[in-house]
Formats: sequence, structure tokens, C-alpha cells
Amino acid sequence: MAAVPGFGQAVSPSSAAGPTPSVSQPAPDTVRPVPSRVVEGGRRFVVVLDAAHGGDDGGAQLADSTAEKTLTLALSVRLRSLLGARGFQVTTTREGNVSVDANTRAQIANHANAAACLSLHASETGSGVHIFVSSLGPTEPTRFLAWKTAQSAFVTRSLKLASTVNSALEHTTVAGGTSTSGADTGPIPATLARTSLLGVDSMACPAIAVEMAPIRDANRKVVTEVTDPDYQTQLVESLAAAVLEWRTDVEAEYRPASSGAGKTP
Amino acid sequence: MIPRYQKVLFFVLLLVSVAMAVLLVRLREKAHERLLKGEDLAPTTAPVVAPAESAMLLVANDLDGTLLQEQESLPLPQDPEARGRALLSKLLEIYGAPDSTHPIPLVARAVQQVFLLPVPEAAEKTRSGEAPRGGQLAVVNLSGSFADGHPAGIETETLTVLSICGTLHANLPQISEVRFLVDGKPRATLAGHADLTRTYLTTEAVSEPQASTAGATP
Repeated sequence: MAAVPGFGQAVSPSSAAGPTPSVSQPAPDTVRPVPSRVVEGGRRFVVVLDAAHGGDDGGAQLADSTAEKTLTLALSVRLRSLLGARGFQVTTTREGNVSVDANTRAQIANHANAAACLSLHASETGSGVHIFVSSLGPTEPTRFLAWKTAQSAFVTRSLKLASTVNSALEHTTVAGGTSTSGADTGPIPATLARTSLLGVDSMACPAIAVEMAPIRDANRKVVTEVTDPDYQTQLVESLAAAVLEWRTDVEAEYRPASSGAGKTP
Repeated sequence: MIPRYQKVLFFVLLLVSVAMAVLLVRLREKAHERLLKGEDLAPTTAPVVAPAESAMLLVANDLDGTLLQEQESLPLPQDPEARGRALLSKLLEIYGAPDSTHPIPLVARAVQQVFLLPVPEAAEKTRSGEAPRGGQLAVVNLSGSFADGHPAGIETETLTVLSICGTLHANLPQISEVRFLVDGKPRATLAGHADLTRTYLTTEAVSEPQASTAGATP
């Protein structure tokens, strides 16, 4: 066992190494669950937008020589504007072409006491929009959570958030979408799946990763590229609508408890 | 004054020495040629060819994010570690084909080694919250050129990881966990997304009850 480095880290989450401690930040190997006041009555509904990659990390190479980091930043900026116009408090993990490591992204989301976190990605493989939730098993929220598996306490809520985004995408209309009427437009094809992503697994809030891929027909031929402005607009508007719906759901869920002690998400 | 017969003897011996040197060089060259020729023509020991067996591969499909079960017939060695490597080599060979449903550039020796180790008993609780079931931990050592050439993306990387886990478990049911190394060292991600620092449970590839597509076998 000891001959292979790194053994036991993921199997035993409590032994996993977290980021370097700093004076102004809490202990890195533990994070506190989001307090109930964050979503209580909708007074402070923070949405974290995580534009993946950046700086030296360009991510995937997309159509027209566009780097994934460029597209995710563009989506983040557009989505921030839309959410800001709807009265959301938005925190972003990066505002420019800078390198941000996975632990820092999770720290930003956790310090923001986010009610939702969307990690934005793009790829040249697959078709449509892929919505990912952490593959961690659900656990009960506790006062302190292991850094590398903090998301486990929020997986159930993350699955609901993913479902909300999936529903919002069903109401889109884009060229190459999965129309059942035979027309060349229809909803953006979306898939839900579980995965293990550094950063997202450490987020102590409902968090999903949204990966934008070209829309392909049955013969795997690309119908709509990820660089298509209409496709991007449809996706961003769908995400904004989903976050709006998510806030409504969360507020409805916590309204009965708002007069009492509140609930822990 | 050197006598004449000594001079004659000296030159005769010198001539013989040169002639012997030339002869030795020539004999050495002939021996070398004979050796090379012999390697080509000499009958070699017949290689031990393992009989072809039916194997179940979980092949990823990028279009709908699924893992499809495919039966393949291929020679498989008896040693479980060599067997695991042969299975994964076949899987990645399928991905390298031009009409692949999950295209990955073909790389020679993409799977360098597969090691099987007993699952540590210290693991009290697995990632998915299930009780440990014992079994074996497979350590898959991928080549750096394979990881560097792998397409970047959450879905494609996740499918690659899960198809490797699922294929190993389908043919070697004693494997319950899989860890990945790249060029013998831990690596953060496969190609920028899928986490390679954690231990994957083979059950994640076989059944994903809450996933509608990716990672779920139909």
C-alpha cells in the first residue's frame, strides 16, 4: 500500500489535505454548512458563478480556436448581468484571464454563503448541455465538513438544482435542438450525470457543473457550435430562469421555518 | 650493426602480424554477419498465445453519455493483472478507431500497468456512504501521452474513467475500487476535469441510480 503515493486520500476524506491555511480564512480542512439565514425569506440570495479554467489553464480547445477559458468567462459575464438585473447578488470566481485553483474557487463559494453555485464549462465532445452533480454520496450536514467531501452534505439539494436547470433547458428553442415535430429547432438537448470535480466537491452549497457542448444530429455531425451566439444566449437565459425558479423553490421551502428557528439546508 | 637475417626475420614477423590482424578483423565481421543472419533464420520458441476468450467491455458513447456493454473476443492471459491490462488496451484501441463513439487518440502502451492490491481494511466508509465490501483495489497506471492527448471535457473524461472502472469490474469482479496514476505518479485530473486523486468505486460505473445518462449502463 505505502508503495503507491496518495493512497487512502479519497477513501478516508478526513485525512485529505486541504488548501494552505490563511489568517483571514477558516481552517482549510473543514467548512461550515450554510446557515439558514442565507435563504431565509430571500433576503440574501447569493449566486456564485464559476468560470472554469483561466490564465495558463486554457481548458478544452473549442471551435474557431476558442479556448474553453474564454467562453466560460463570456458566459459568466453575461449570466452575471442577467442575474444582477433580476436582483440577485452574484459572486464570480474570476473576472478576467487569471488562474484560479480549485480550492480557491471552493473557498470563494463557501465564503459567499452561496444559495447556488454554477460552475461553467465547455467542451467539443458530446452533444448539448451536460449538467453534472457531484458523485459524492449524500450525508447529513454537520457543523464541520471535510474539505474534499463538503459537497456531500448538499448533494441532495444540488440534484434538485440540476433538475431545475434541466427543466429550464426544456423550454429553450435553438437550431439543432431535439424537436419531436421534425423541425430543425427545438429544446437544447441536456443530460444529467454525476461526476467528481475538484472544487465542486469542496463547495458547501448547492452546486452543479454546466458543460456546454456542440449540438449534434444523430450522425454525430455538428449542427450548432458552442461559439454560436444564439446558442449561448439561449443557454444563459435558461440558466438565469432556472436560478430564478430555484430561488422561488428555496424561499417556498423555507418560508414556514422563517418565523421559527429555521432549517439547515 | 644488425645482421641481415635479423632484419629479414623482423619484416617477416611484421608481415605475419599484419596479416593476422586483417584475418582477425575479417573473421569478426563474418561472425557478426553470421550472428545477424542466424537471428533471422533460426527457429524461435513458439510464443505462448492465450486462447481467445469472450470479454465484456463497457464502451462509452459521447452522444448520449452512456456506457454500452459490448462483447469482444480477445486473447486474455491468466494472470489477473496482465488480464486487466489486456482488457483496457482493447478498450482504448476501440476508442482510437476512426468510427469510435468516444474518440480518443490512439497511443501505444496507453495502459502501462495494472496492479491489483487488497482493499485496505482501514477504509471505514466509502465515498458513496456504502459499507466496505472487501475485494481488490486496481491501480491503473496510464501513460502521460494518453492523458495529455485525451480530449478535455467533464463528460468525455468521466466516461473514460467510468468505462475503465466498469470494464475491469465486469471481467474481474473482485475489483471493487480503482485508482489512477499517470506515468507512475498521482495526477490531479485526466485532462483538466475528471478528478484522478480519488479512489473510484467500480459500482459507480455499473449503476448510477440518480444519473439519467452518463455513467449509467443501459
